[in-house]
Amino acid sequence: MNGHVKSMHFQRFMETATTLLSLLLVMAFDSSRTVAASRNQQCGDSVQKSLKLSRLLQKESVDLIKTYKASQGEMSELFCKVSVNNVPDPNISGLEPSEKIASIYTHLQEFFPHFEWVYKQQTDLQLPTSPLLSDLRRFTAGSRNLAYLIKPFYQSLFPNVPLPEGGPTTLPPPQNVFQQKVYGCVVLKTFKELLSNVSRELRSLKSQVCRRRTHTNTLF
Amino acid sequence: MVSAGEMLVLAGLVLAVAATRGFSQTNHLVTAPQTTQFLEIGSNFKATCMIINTTEVTADDLYWKLSKTTVSKELYTKLNESAISVTIPVTSGQSEWLLCRAEKGNSAYVSLNTGKFMYGVLLKKGYPPGKPENVSCVAVQEKTTISRIFRCDWATVGRQTSDVPTKYTLNVVVIHIRNYSVSTEGTHTQVEFVDTYPHFMNLEIWVEAHNMLGKIESEHITQDANSFVKTNPPSDIKVISEKYFPTSPLMNWTQPIDKSYGKLKYEIRFCTIGSPNWTYVPKGDIATDIQSFRLQSLQPYTEYITQVRSQLGHWSDWSGTTMKTAEDRPTSKPDVWRIIAEVDGKNERRVQFISKDPVFANGRIITFDIKIQEQKNDNLQWDTILVNGSESSDGQRVITVLKDMLLADLRPVRLCVTANNSVGTSPMASLFISAKGHEDPPVKGLKVWSAEGKLWLQWTPPNGPDLSEYVVEWVSGDQTDWQRENKNTRLTAIKGNLEGFVRYTVSVYSIYSGRIGKPASKEAYLKEGAPLEGPVVRLNDKPGRNEAELGWVEIPLHRQRGFIVNYTINYTGGGETHEITVPSNTISYTLKSLSSNTKYDTWINASTVRGSAQSSTHSFTTLKYAPGEVESIVVGVCLGFMFVVLMTMLLCLYKKDVIKENLWPRIPNPGESTIGNWSPDYPLKAETPKENCLSGISVLDVDVCDGKSMFEEDKACLPLKKDKYLSEEHSSGIGGSSCMSSPRQSVSDSDEGSDMADTTASTVQYSSVVASNGYKGQTPNPHPQQAVFSRSESTQPLLDSEENPDMMIQESSRQSQHFKQENPAEIHLLEMDQQQQQQEEGVESLDFCPLDEESEQTKSSEGQSAASSYMSQREGYRPQ
Repeated sequence: MNGHVKSMHFQRFMETATTLLSLLLVMAFDSSRTVAASRNQQCGDSVQKSLKLSRLLQKESVDLIKTYKASQGEMSELFCKVSVNNVPDPNISGLEPSEKIASIYTHLQEFFPHFEWVYKQQTDLQLPTSPLLSDLRRFTAGSRNLAYLIKPFYQSLFPNVPLPEGGPTTLPPPQNVFQQKVYGCVVLKTFKELLSNVSRELRSLKSQVCRRRTHTNTLF
Repeated sequence: MVSAGEMLVLAGLVLAVAATRGFSQTNHLVTAPQTTQFLEIGSNFKATCMIINTTEVTADDLYWKLSKTTVSKELYTKLNESAISVTIPVTSGQSEWLLCRAEKGNSAYVSLNTGKFMYGVLLKKGYPPGKPENVSCVAVQEKTTISRIFRCDWATVGRQTSDVPTKYTLNVVVIHIRNYSVSTEGTHTQVEFVDTYPHFMNLEIWVEAHNMLGKIESEHITQDANSFVKTNPPSDIKVISEKYFPTSPLMNWTQPIDKSYGKLKYEIRFCTIGSPNWTYVPKGDIATDIQSFRLQSLQPYTEYITQVRSQLGHWSDWSGTTMKTAEDRPTSKPDVWRIIAEVDGKNERRVQFISKDPVFANGRIITFDIKIQEQKNDNLQWDTILVNGSESSDGQRVITVLKDMLLADLRPVRLCVTANNSVGTSPMASLFISAKGHEDPPVKGLKVWSAEGKLWLQWTPPNGPDLSEYVVEWVSGDQTDWQRENKNTRLTAIKGNLEGFVRYTVSVYSIYSGRIGKPASKEAYLKEGAPLEGPVVRLNDKPGRNEAELGWVEIPLHRQRGFIVNYTINYTGGGETHEITVPSNTISYTLKSLSSNTKYDTWINASTVRGSAQSSTHSFTTLKYAPGEVESIVVGVCLGFMFVVLMTMLLCLYKKDVIKENLWPRIPNPGESTIGNWSPDYPLKAETPKENCLSGISVLDVDVCDGKSMFEEDKACLPLKKDKYLSEEHSSGIGGSSCMSSPRQSVSDSDEGSDMADTTASTVQYSSVVASNGYKGQTPNPHPQQAVFSRSESTQPLLDSEENPDMMIQESSRQSQHFKQENPAEIHLLEMDQQQQQQEEGVESLDFCPLDEESEQTKSSEGQSAASSYMSQREGYRPQ
């Protein structure tokens, strides 16, 4: 009788333990799914915002180049067809998403000194009230914002991989007015090309990184 | 029991005193805390006061004052012999000083140095800041980009005092990039982003409220920066109404900002012009980032206002345009009605058929097609009625007169009407007018009243088997309008544009399968006011002595502006004002109890429920005598006079003997008179000048005003002679005998100087004039029959002269004939003389022929000689 009772108690204990264990497993699974969904949403939001900003900057770059050409006087079309050295490469490098995102970030960083330089040159060439100056400042600030968006996105995706800040930028030597006008236009055009590449890469990254992470998390 | 905390305060005070040694040398009291304190209203505040550098006072001598009030000792706590503390509740919102003071009556030092025994701390009171709520921020579009100005608003919570103001700090953090912070005392402020608006960046926003009593933050808002953007509304809005889609126009617009800023949502709404209700297109039917949309289910040929707005973060303002949809075939019947007027003297009615455009005309009605059937099988052609192109400006449907006709009372008729626009024809409407007297029963218990700016109607349905609908008609002057109500309606309001202060005749017709029943009618005003003018007041008749009948003309209908409830008649006269109120159906009133010969001013106030209007004042004067009163008095007086005359005459007749006795007493015997011996010196020749006789006759003629016997010059003197006539009447009394009194003397009595009259009156008490033909010649008549003129100046009765009685009789009879003709009184007197003469033997009548005016002149001179003879007679009747 006692043995039977003990056996019944043990069975009840085992049933309870099994139930609790099952519940814990379900909670853990659900929690992981919630976290994964949250991360996935953050990933998507970050990429989406970066993508939207890059598109906005693309549109603004088109307008800015028009404004630049309009403010440079005669032969402005000719300025933008001349090639210039020392302008950063607009192409995104790397094969892995982390490398591509890092490349985007470093390329953006490389352009900022050139923007500052162009702004400085154009400040000497334009009237203070020229819309080009305000557009340049707005565009530069927007580009910095894009870089600021990329950085936490990268860090959230690859928290253990440091983001390279990029090497020192080589600014052009002293230039005459013509060279300055040509240089400014080339910088803007090159950056526009970079933005186009960034948009393309971000679109692919959005589908690659955020979905893969979702898939990985789901498997987990 | 002193707590450890209080010991710490004391220790702090000691240290503070040590630190401010120079101050302590001048002050013997110090408090903790020492500086201005900001206190929360509703809390308690504790302060400690300590005596330093003196033994003049102890803690028992210390007391606290809050402003000018000494704090109750119950709130004190004695810490030791040189320190006390006080705990006071912080109540009012005013700042005040809390002073620690010492008082010791027997210490001269304390009395002389009160400033050293006083220390205070300023208490400023307030409330801790409330948590800002409803924080909202916005960045508006500026040209093609978004402005860098970022404005935020919030709502304050809790109370503030001026001593402890609350400040707010707006914090905007562009995450990972930059923080912005701006302080203000108001409930809104703005920050300006550097260089550009941070599109697609996350912003964290909160407001911190802080004052001297604390600080508190609002909820933090973390959102995409674009969610705060308010774009301009869409521009270049166009609505294209297509002929084949009259109910589905296409709406186009230009988006306010580039798509690269984000996908714009849109909201679309539309309404007919003048309608306050918007129809919103379901949001689910509107895609994002569109620039065109096809509206649905609009009415054809209707003007609409269409609007659209966009949303990136906040909704933009609305922008829109007006449009008119294309025409479509009329989809409802025309609204047909009739106006019937009686024709005098004929068994006919004048019927005017009228119609409004169909409710869903869906275009401009160009023509009406009508057909009037007098019998069921009439297959008449349709007549086309062209419609005047004008449209109502007030949104009411235009009424078109379709046909005017005379219709026999006993003849029913049916009207069929269709309306046509440029696209097609409407369904047919019909109207059946029954024979007069054969109409179906009306609605019962119709009530009409005004409320909420409308005229409301309520009725009970009639007992008709096939009642199909009602028509509510309202008529004002020659303006008629109507509306239709379904058969279940019991209560409705007139939907037409009614005017205030206008009287409407409201009728409800029950329609029985197209047949018009008898109407039930009431008169009503949408809004009543005081009449614009008062009634015109007049007197219906001439005013009487004590009453006057007032009449007035009813105020014209368009000037009444309401139902006249009564008239108030006001009249004032003799310093009193009276007021009489009469019903509204009164148009005349008789004022009674008026004073005679008094001027009255009267006016009438016509009153509605909203006020009254006063007529102009009408004045009249009551009569002094009532009509006929004067006539009655005159008649009465005349009758009285006649009665007196009659009575006098009767008296004379009946008492003639007495009168005669009194007036003509018996004459003494002439034989006893001295004149009886008098005989004329010369014979009295009966050669009386012809003119004298004529004169005598003419005088008598004048007396009786017989123009036939008057000379022309005598006629001119008629008034005078009339007077003479009257005088003669008087003189007859004086002389006692008219025949004896000369007319001249009578004239003199009344007209010419009073000398002669006086002479006569004073000297002649009794007189007797005996005329003879010889008088003028003053020749004594030798013949006894000759007339002798003598006059006695004595107071004795005159004696008859001895003269020829025949002549006397002749002359007297001749004279009597005149009297008979002219004056019965004279005649009577003459007869009396004759009788007297006959009674008195020897006394003969004397003839006397008075002279005319001219003769009298002559006679006057002769009279003077006669007068001289009188004088001689006066002196003794001496023989002449």
